[in-house]
Amino acid sequence: MQLYRLTLATILQRKVWIVAVLCVFLLPVLLPYLTPHEINPSLIEPARAQTAWVCLWVVSIAWLFFQAARFGDDTSRSGLGAYFLSSGVSGLSQMMQIWLACLSFLLPLVAITVAVCLIGAMPAESSQAKMWIATNLQYAALYLLVVTPLMMLAVSAGSRFGSTIGYLIPLCLSVYGIYGVGYLAMMTEVQSNVLLDWIYVISPHYHLADLTPRLVFKHGSMLSSEFLQLVVYFAGIKLVLAMISTFTFQPKAAG
Amino acid sequence: MSLPESTPRLELSPGLSIGYGERLACIDEQEGNIVLEGGTHYLLARNGRGKTTLLRTLAGVLNPVDGKYQCRGRCQLLSEDLTFDRELPAKAILKAFLSKDKYAEAIELAETLELDVAKPYGKLSTGNKRKVALLVAEFSVQERGQDVMLLDEPFTGLDTFSREVFQKRWQECRDGVLRLVSCHPDFDSMEMGSCMLISDGKITHLSGEDAPQRWGQLKSQLN
Repeated sequence: MQLYRLTLATILQRKVWIVAVLCVFLLPVLLPYLTPHEINPSLIEPARAQTAWVCLWVVSIAWLFFQAARFGDDTSRSGLGAYFLSSGVSGLSQMMQIWLACLSFLLPLVAITVAVCLIGAMPAESSQAKMWIATNLQYAALYLLVVTPLMMLAVSAGSRFGSTIGYLIPLCLSVYGIYGVGYLAMMTEVQSNVLLDWIYVISPHYHLADLTPRLVFKHGSMLSSEFLQLVVYFAGIKLVLAMISTFTFQPKAAG
Repeated sequence: MSLPESTPRLELSPGLSIGYGERLACIDEQEGNIVLEGGTHYLLARNGRGKTTLLRTLAGVLNPVDGKYQCRGRCQLLSEDLTFDRELPAKAILKAFLSKDKYAEAIELAETLELDVAKPYGKLSTGNKRKVALLVAEFSVQERGQDVMLLDEPFTGLDTFSREVFQKRWQECRDGVLRLVSCHPDFDSMEMGSCMLISDGKITHLSGEDAPQRWGQLKSQLN
């Protein structure tokens, strides 16, 4: 696990993780006060939950994906990948070690977000509180199922195509899956086009993992069957992305 | 006298060709097997003749164009372009790679080499960067194991004092370690009991009585 320790040490040394932690911890505490809470104090809690999860999405997409892509690129270009390859560490193992190091920073951020929602925005009524806890845990599970394979893709694409492309691929995929698919749905409703229909079907529907509206409007947790369906769907996407990442990862520079 | 199975060993068969798609150098079919065992061996050739390509091939990072070779022992390829994150200080790099005991030993040697382990890697001079990579490789050697270290121009940028420190260490710690070192010696009296040459597209091995013993006697043979 030398590459894991080296990657972890590098993230710690770069210190940007402090900004990330402050973002997911402080912004949900401060930003809700920009709402007209003096008129309606009940706005604070849903606004806090919304800010917490939006910050987590932004931090993971803007920071973690870039870090992952950069580590993939660095490993391939710095000769480290070849060093580890020569000492018997396979490309797959190298990719997993870099991915695990990034995951080691992601998990505390998710824990902070859930903690902010549970401590700083928990409904007072006990039945609502139970729902609130369940929804946040479901959200955390779905979020991890979406973000972790994209992070792996960033590592592998970074190693093969460089950090910029390696970052842009998961960035575009996640933004498309969260927002773009919705526009595509509108287009398919307006005009009947087989190609668009197919693109819609095979698109990653990451917007389904975004449970922020459920929290904000207190729709309650998802039914177990509905949640399991989503878990299976995202696990399927995860499997596909993991396979693509495994084939794409290049531990040594070409040539 | 046969060496025990625990001795690291590199065996290159006649017909082994190296290169990136096209043949750059090869071992003549008429030659016998080239066998290297524990200790330090030098790899010498002029620029662009295939030193790095041979090391990459032996490390398993690059496929040979043709032919076979065998490597017994855990490899470490220390390529010339091996670098670490520029913000990481040397001590963090060593800590990530080494066990506690080995880390303490590495820090001790770093002090002898006057390497500032607290300084970020990116701010170190070329020679000091090489020292970090060499320390990682040297102290990653397994206790009572079989290690094959493939060092690509490890002396680049290194001062004479540091080079001698490493060469002394190589003399002292030769049990269970095979070091194949590519380099461009800069002084004629440098000793080399066993050396591989790449010249005119041919890979050859000089050892024992065939070996010229000193770099000064050998350099005119390279083309």
